[in-house]
Amino acid sequence: MAAGATSMFRDFLRRLLKNRLAVAGAVVVSFLFVVAAYPSAFARHDPSRIDVRKILEPPSADHPLGTDELGRDVLSRMVHGARISMEVGFVATGIATAIGLVVGLIAGFYGRWVDGVLMRFVDIMLCFPSFFLILAVIAFLGPSIINIMAVIGLTSWMGAARLVRAETLSLKERDFVSAARAQGAGNLRIIFRHILPNALAPILVWATLGVAGAILVESSLSFLGIGVQPPTPSWGNILTAGKDNIEFAWWLSVYPGLAILVTVLGYYLLGEGIQDAADPRLKGR
Amino acid sequence: MKIARMAAVALVLALVAGCSKEKADPGGAGAPGAPAYGDAIVDGSIGDVSGFLTAVTSDSASHGAANYVFNGLVRYDKDLKLEGELAESWEVTPDGKRITFHLRKGVRWHDGEPFTSDDVLFTYRRLIDPNTPTAYAEDFRQVTRASNPDPHTFVVEYGKPFAPALASWGMHILPKHLLEKHPDISRSPLNKKPVGTGPFRFVEWKTGEKTVFEANPDYFEGRPYLSRVVTRVIPDPATMFLELKSGGIDMMGLTPLQYTRQTETEEFRTSFNKYRYLSFGYTYLGFRLSHPFFSDKRVRQAFAHAINKKDIIDGVLFGFGQEATGPYKPGTWVHNPDVRRYPFDPEKARALLAEAGWTDADGDGVLEKGGRTFAFTVLTNAGNESRAKTAAILQQNLAAVGVRMEIRTLEWAAFINEFVDKRKFDAVILGWSITQDPDQYDIWSSQKTGPKELNFVGFRNAEVDRLLEEGRRTFDMEGRKKAYFRIQEILAEEQPYVFLYYPDALPVVHKRIHGVEPAPAGISYNFIKWYVPEAQQRYTTFQK
Repeated sequence: MAAGATSMFRDFLRRLLKNRLAVAGAVVVSFLFVVAAYPSAFARHDPSRIDVRKILEPPSADHPLGTDELGRDVLSRMVHGARISMEVGFVATGIATAIGLVVGLIAGFYGRWVDGVLMRFVDIMLCFPSFFLILAVIAFLGPSIINIMAVIGLTSWMGAARLVRAETLSLKERDFVSAARAQGAGNLRIIFRHILPNALAPILVWATLGVAGAILVESSLSFLGIGVQPPTPSWGNILTAGKDNIEFAWWLSVYPGLAILVTVLGYYLLGEGIQDAADPRLKGR
Repeated sequence: MKIARMAAVALVLALVAGCSKEKADPGGAGAPGAPAYGDAIVDGSIGDVSGFLTAVTSDSASHGAANYVFNGLVRYDKDLKLEGELAESWEVTPDGKRITFHLRKGVRWHDGEPFTSDDVLFTYRRLIDPNTPTAYAEDFRQVTRASNPDPHTFVVEYGKPFAPALASWGMHILPKHLLEKHPDISRSPLNKKPVGTGPFRFVEWKTGEKTVFEANPDYFEGRPYLSRVVTRVIPDPATMFLELKSGGIDMMGLTPLQYTRQTETEEFRTSFNKYRYLSFGYTYLGFRLSHPFFSDKRVRQAFAHAINKKDIIDGVLFGFGQEATGPYKPGTWVHNPDVRRYPFDPEKARALLAEAGWTDADGDGVLEKGGRTFAFTVLTNAGNESRAKTAAILQQNLAAVGVRMEIRTLEWAAFINEFVDKRKFDAVILGWSITQDPDQYDIWSSQKTGPKELNFVGFRNAEVDRLLEEGRRTFDMEGRKKAYFRIQEILAEEQPYVFLYYPDALPVVHKRIHGVEPAPAGISYNFIKWYVPEAQQRYTTFQK
C-alpha cells in the first residue's frame, strides 16, 4: 500500500516535471516563499524608513527599484509586501478551503435535505458580487489584515464546497466505502478517513488557484485604500502611490504591477500543472 | 467668523482657472489682447457642492460656488481690507455698538426683483432662527437690535462692542421673496437652484459632475468678461491634472509634486501660468485633551519636540509651505512670531515623556506607564494625500521616541459626524481654513466644547477665555493685537494642537485667461475682471 502510494506520487511528480509551464510556476512560487520567509536577505533597507531627501528617486545602485513618495526603498517594500501577500493568500484560502471541505463533505455525504439546504446556501452566497460584499464588510468592520483575511476567506469557499460535494457524491458509492461500512465504521470515520483523503487532489488544485485569487483581491483592496493599512507595505498600496505619480515615477507602478502579475501567473500555472498531472485520464500524454 | 473645515487643501482654491493651446492671433476686430466679453472658464474641484446657501454649508467647494451667485454687505479687497459690496458705505458709532449700512441702489436679484434692506433684515433673522442649521449664528447673536428705517439703510446695534461685527456682514444676503415661505432654508429649493445678486447667474448643477454659471449682464459692478464658469468635479488630483493638460479644465490647484515635477516643461509654460502664495489655512495634529495620555501637557510638548516639522514641509509639501506655531498666518498683523518653539529634538521629547512617567521598562521600544503601553490611533480623512503622508512621517517620528501610533483614514462625512463630533478619537490630523478677522472664539473657548461645536479637543483655559472675550470687545488694533499675541503664547505653551504647517496655495490658470493679478488675498478677488482676448477665445458656441 505504501509502495503503491509512493509510486503513484512519483508518477505524478514525473508528469508534473514534464510540464515546463508548471515547473516555471513552481519556481516562481518557491522563490516567493523564500523571499517571504527571509525578507531581510533581499531588502537592504527598512521598508518603512522615510527619507524626505530621497523622494521619488529613479532606480539606482542603492535603491534598485527606486524610492516612493516618502523616500522609502521600493525594493524593500516589495519584499516585505510579498510576505503580506503570501500571508493573506494562504490564510484566506485556508479558511475558504476548510469551510468548503466541511460543507462539501456534509452535503455530499448526507444528501437529501441537508444537501439541498447547504447547496441553496452556496447558491445564495454565489449571487452576491463578492468584491462588493468584501468592500462593504471591510468598510463596516474597519480595514485590518486580520479582517481582510477573514472576509476574503468567508466569501470565497463556495467553489471548494461544490467541488468537494461532487467528489463526495461519487466517492461514497465506491466499493471501499461499502467495505468500510461493512466493517462497522461510523459516518464520521468514513468521511474523514476514507472520503476526505481521496477528495484532496482536486481541492489542492482549487486552493492553489484560490491563493492567486486572494492575492489579487488583497491587492485590489489595498489599491483602493481599504486593504492593508500604512505603513505596512503591500503591493496594492505601493500601486496606489504609483497611480498618483504615474507620469514620472514609472517604477512605482511597473514593479508592483509586475510582481502581482508574475505571482498570480505562477500560482495559476502551478495549479493547472498539478491538475493535469493528477488527472489519470491524461496519463498517456 | 467663518471657519470652514478644510475638506482638502486643494479645495481652498475655490476660484482658480485654465487651459488649451492658444490660437494664433488672426488680427481680428479690436486691438489684439484687449479685454473682450465671451469664452468660458472650466475649473476643477475635488469635492462637489453640497448646497448654495453658505449659511448652511461649511465646505469650501460650496462656499466657492456660492461666491459666484451671492454677495455680502462687505468683503475683503485684494489687500485684505474691508470694502463695501452690497453696502455702498457704512458708519460705526465711536463706541462701536452701532453700525449703519447704506445699501447700493438699483441692485436686482437675478429674477428681476429689487434688492432692499428687507432682504438684509430677513437674512439676519434667519441666521439667528433656531430652525436654521447654521454654524455661523454666534456672530449674529451678538446683535441686540436690527432695523431697516428705509429700503436702502440697515442698522444693527450690539449690546457690547463687538470687533468682528463689520466683517461678519460679509455673510451672503438671501432673497426674502424666495425664502420667506421656507422655515428651514437648507431644505428650500434655493439651496439647489440659487438666485442671488452676484456676478454670475446659476445655470445648472449636475450632482457629482459639474456646476454651470453664466455672466450676469446687469451685475452692479459691471458684467464679468467671462461668459460662463463651469466647475467640474474630479475627485482625484492626478486625473484632474491629466484633464488640465488635455484641455478639459482651465484651472486647478496643483499639488506640490505636480508644481515641481510635472509642470517644468516648455510646453506647460507656454500654455499655463502658475501662482504661489501662502494659503489661508493650516494643518495640525489635535489631541482629545480628556484622553489619559494627552491630558498631561508634558506629553503634548514632547510630541511637539518629537515631530520633525521641517521634514513634513520638505517631504509632503516639497518646501511649499511654512512651519506653523499657532493658529494665525505668518506675515499677518495678528501673527505672533515670538512664541515658544519646539525644535526637533527626540532626546528632549524622551526626557519630557520620562518626566511624565512614560518609560520603556521592558525594553521593547515602546513606552509604558502603570501597565499601559503608549499606543494610540490617529484619524484623518481619506483621499487627502498630504495628510496621509504627514501621518506616515508623524508615525516614524513618534516611533523614534517610543510612541506607537496607528493611522486610520475615514471617509470625510463619517469622520466628522461619527468620530469628531462624538469625540470618539485619540488624536486627529485636520486643517482649519482661517478668515481675516482673528476672532477664534468658536475653536478655543471653553463654552464651545459641546457636541458638534468646534472646540472638539476640549481645550479649557480661563485666561484664553478672558482674552477671546477681550479680543471681541476691543476695536483698537493694538489692543486686539495684545490679546491675540497672548493667546498664541498660551496655545504654544499648552500645545492643545501640535500646529504643523501652512501650505502654499499653488493655483494654475490657462494662459489665454488674462487679468489674473496675484495679491495678498490670492488671485480670485478680481475674477470678474478676468478675460480672454477675442482672438484667443475657445468656447464660443453659447451666446456671449
